[in-house]
Amino acid sequence: MNAPHPVMMWLYRGALVLYPTRLRREYRLQMLQTLCDAYQDRPAGTLRFWLHAYGDLLQSSFMERCFMLRDLILRRPLVFHTFALAVILTLLGGAASVTMQQMLRRGANEPQIDMADYYAGEIGSGEEPGNVIPPGYVDAERSLQPFVIFYDDQGKPGPGTGYLDQVLPTPPDGVFDVVRKQGGENVTWQPRPGVRLASVIRRVHGRKLGFILAARSLRLVEQQEGLLWRIAVAGWIIVMVLLIGGASLLSRAQRVQRV
Amino acid sequence: MAKSHPDPHSLLPLTPAVFSILLALAGSEKHGYAIMKEAALPEGGGVSMGPGTLYGSLDRMMRSGLVEETGVTDNERRRYYRITRFGAEVFSAEAARLGRMMGAVRRKAVLEGVRS
Repeated sequence: MNAPHPVMMWLYRGALVLYPTRLRREYRLQMLQTLCDAYQDRPAGTLRFWLHAYGDLLQSSFMERCFMLRDLILRRPLVFHTFALAVILTLLGGAASVTMQQMLRRGANEPQIDMADYYAGEIGSGEEPGNVIPPGYVDAERSLQPFVIFYDDQGKPGPGTGYLDQVLPTPPDGVFDVVRKQGGENVTWQPRPGVRLASVIRRVHGRKLGFILAARSLRLVEQQEGLLWRIAVAGWIIVMVLLIGGASLLSRAQRVQRV
Repeated sequence: MAKSHPDPHSLLPLTPAVFSILLALAGSEKHGYAIMKEAALPEGGGVSMGPGTLYGSLDRMMRSGLVEETGVTDNERRRYYRITRFGAEVFSAEAARLGRMMGAVRRKAVLEGVRS
């Protein structure tokens, strides 16, 4: 008798786990019998037979699951509508939060943009950096005040008003390379862990080539961002609780009406 | 109380697998492999399906009232199915629809001088 190889049958029996549970419970024995019948009667080669059998199982498992999902949606539209509304509200809330976060972050570049443009223009018109940049001392780690630093064409700092451990900090060389090509750049610079600066760098042309950096601590902005995300998460939880609670009440009311 | 069925036309068009299963069962009651074998024949629709497609389709067709189990079987692994009265109505409606379509195909083929 030309029966399928036991190993192949064992594998097919295992692969039936892909098939939806209800259908598997109902038709498993019949499916295996039909497969045996088809094997004994197969017109094509063994390999082709098994490829077709597994291909059919994969495709039908996917399709049957799609049909079941469709039936569930049609049977319980309230669940589907609640889920769709939850997804839409989550996406809208997420987009609004990201937009506000971006506005906060971009707002952190003010007034550095004006400062950098002003000092780059002044030095570029022939003024000495030491005459243009006013004397001052801003602790870049603790103060929220903006500061400005001039760097020569090799990236050596001085003069400037922003200090870290009583030294004028220097951004990585890569930043200067980018500014040489693009003329300017706005970056978040972390000179050391825990110190993040909203930095605006401009190329200085003229009698003295170099760079001007205007920066200030992001500490306050990041605190505001943290608060924004906490409000967004709390708002999302409240909206979801209201949505699910409302849907449950509506579902209960519908059931009572039917009774 | 008799189970009410929708308008047969509301289920049209049928998928090739469902139509071939109804065609196979239109003659006589059959078990799964016999349905599969007949559906694979050129005159049965040439639909090559495996057990997954066959039993998924049969399950949906039973829930729609198109086919039913005969209840007569000598083996749990080989159950027999037959077409219901409603299934026959749906089958006739689909056959008529395809017939009208084939008529249009033939007319167009004549107009355009195409020989089938």
